[in-house]
Amino acid sequence: MFLSKLREALICLKAGRVTLDYPLAPQEPKPGFRGKITIDADLCFGCGGCANVCPANVIVLSDTEQHRRTIEFYWRRCTYCGRCEEVCPEKAIRLSQQFETATNDPQDMYMRLEVFMGPCQRCGRCFPPPTALDRMMNTGFREGPRGGRA
Amino acid sequence: MSTVDQAAVTRVKDAVAARGNGAVLSATQPHPDTLRFVIEKNAMRAAVAGLVKELRARFLISVGTDQRPLTGDFSILHLFSLDQDHLYVLLESSVSEKDPWIESITDLVPGANWAEREFRDAIGVRPDGHPDPRRLLLADDWPEGVFPLRRDFPYNYKPPRAENVRPQMLEPPKGASVLPIGPFFPVLEEPAYWRMFVEGETVVGCDTRIFYNHRGIEKLGDSVMTYNEIPYLAERICGICGFIHSTCYCQAVEKAAGIEVPRRARYIRTIMLELERIHSHLLWLGIAGHIIGFETILMQTWRVREPVMWLCEEISGNRKTYGMNTVGGLRRNLANQIMPKLLETLGRVEKETVAIRDAVIGDTTLQARTKGVGTLTNEWAKQVCVVGPPARASGVAIDARVDHPYAAYDEIPPRIATEEAGDTWARVLVRIAELLDSIRLVRDALAAIPPGPICADIKEEIPPGRFGLSVVEAPRGEAVHFVLTGGDNRPYRWRVRAPTYPNLQAMPAMVEGANIADVPITLGSLDPCFSCTERLETIDRTTNEVRVYSGAELLEMSRRRVCPGGAR
Ligand code: SF4
Ligand code: SF4
Repeated sequence: MFLSKLREALICLKAGRVTLDYPLAPQEPKPGFRGKITIDADLCFGCGGCANVCPANVIVLSDTEQHRRTIEFYWRRCTYCGRCEEVCPEKAIRLSQQFETATNDPQDMYMRLEVFMGPCQRCGRCFPPPTALDRMMNTGFREGPRGGRA
Repeated sequence: MSTVDQAAVTRVKDAVAARGNGAVLSATQPHPDTLRFVIEKNAMRAAVAGLVKELRARFLISVGTDQRPLTGDFSILHLFSLDQDHLYVLLESSVSEKDPWIESITDLVPGANWAEREFRDAIGVRPDGHPDPRRLLLADDWPEGVFPLRRDFPYNYKPPRAENVRPQMLEPPKGASVLPIGPFFPVLEEPAYWRMFVEGETVVGCDTRIFYNHRGIEKLGDSVMTYNEIPYLAERICGICGFIHSTCYCQAVEKAAGIEVPRRARYIRTIMLELERIHSHLLWLGIAGHIIGFETILMQTWRVREPVMWLCEEISGNRKTYGMNTVGGLRRNLANQIMPKLLETLGRVEKETVAIRDAVIGDTTLQARTKGVGTLTNEWAKQVCVVGPPARASGVAIDARVDHPYAAYDEIPPRIATEEAGDTWARVLVRIAELLDSIRLVRDALAAIPPGPICADIKEEIPPGRFGLSVVEAPRGEAVHFVLTGGDNRPYRWRVRAPTYPNLQAMPAMVEGANIADVPITLGSLDPCFSCTERLETIDRTTNEVRVYSGAELLEMSRRRVCPGGAR
């Protein structure tokens, strides 16, 4: 009894201080960490691949005008799974190292991107360039019917 | 892969055929380790009796499926495991829509109690002759006659609330008073409502109302999500054993579609599963200490645990919900640079765990609070089909990793740790032994991990109408996932059974005759995880209570408890 108490005390003493100074000192996440999504507007060509695979329905596509496709990111719902990054043919959408995302304004967790598209001569709907679409088809497993929602 | 003995297959077929009395419509072997019998509804009971009584089959779960769009009927499936023979047995019956009932098997298999109530609530097939036909799954204010898992029930429909309802609770025995625990209570961390019937300080019985945490994920899985989105949902079934659920789901789909997972992926899955077991058991040890007021254990085990979490973050990109699994294999490889660090951290965790074990094992205070507390007899453990450490601590040597090897466990077999006493102390010992064995398993897996691809190349669509059953040994016991594939790139039915589901059903037997102060640690010793257990539908409100002890008061009681001479 006494011996085991002594042992327990020794374990505690040996451990020393283990807590970190965060948030007083900055904390770097490990490489490969999956944080807040970022979008490079110059690279994105609006293929909709990310919207198609996102399990949390973060990314919503809408073809607002003939030449314009709007991509909205409600990333407060993001699960940080990284599927969007995985399928994006242009690596336009990425998971950053940023993890301090707490806010009291939901608008801070919303992004909107408008992409100029080539509309179809017949139906007038937008579609991305066929070559990149081909590349897109080669990435990942067949996706469900949900994403193409206009 | 452990080979299935052909003699065992014949034995099962004979047993079912003999009891089934010519009512066996078909007997097939869709996977080498699975036998499937379609039998007529009125012969189901006899067939179950044959399996359970003659072959000592262990009940896993029942699955009720609304197959009306396909066959015009409901189907009820009882799943069994023959652990020694490495076999699963599926008994299926169709139940017509006009007369939706099936004979209850709860008197033959007490462990089927909740499963039967669940399919009654979810698809509306009544288990006839069920000893306790109260509501289980649905909220008390859910209207009668609305069944959320039927195909014609839209996933986003909210039916109007029923009026004037209260939880249907059992009356206490004469002379006993009621001590409510929950729905919010510090030991539980998650909502559950227990009514302890007490005489003085002694518990004479109990009643529960759980399923406050339904999130409707099975419905989402078969109406909204797609095959490759579900792993991320499955991962969120549990905050601790997320990887286990996503592995279990992926394996079920892979089995259904006949996808061969690359060997390296199976090894990495094994490593992640064992890392999860390591941090889960350390967490549990800490919480158990916390419940009985032994904060040193809490502080020290959680300190030891933290580097494992960091390691997981480095491997997967997140300390929890790794997002690594996908149908066919993995999305993220285990980088070779991490391996030395992994080994080093494991070495440290092992050393410190052994130090903690050696210190607490001689601690008489700890023993006095756990020995002889919450005893679960071997016989009852088998009857209610308890799984995981609580089963092994009662001398039931079952472990899905050995009985139905998956991932790489056929190449690096784990050692099953068992104890005979069946009390809380035995559960502590089993978990510590398992924890140390997990460290060895990760080491073995790292030594033997082969190079190669980590994901199968899937070109074909997953064919509809196939089913897959997968069992994964979670830290709390085995998780069962059943998938029936469908069209639209999503399962037709996805059934999840978490390990706490059978384990909680053993709770009434464990607390009977106990002192009130022992109830929290008894419950805690099951390592209950409610959000896993309760996956299905809607939210609930609690109505009024009889008499309220505050949680803090009860926790205080549990810590103050002085127990002269240890075992009571
Ligand atoms: S990380 Fe996952 S949840 Fe978040 S936006 Fe990308 S796909 Fe959607
Ligand atoms: S997948 Fe990439 S390129 Fe396509 S819409 Fe999304 S961000 Fe843009």
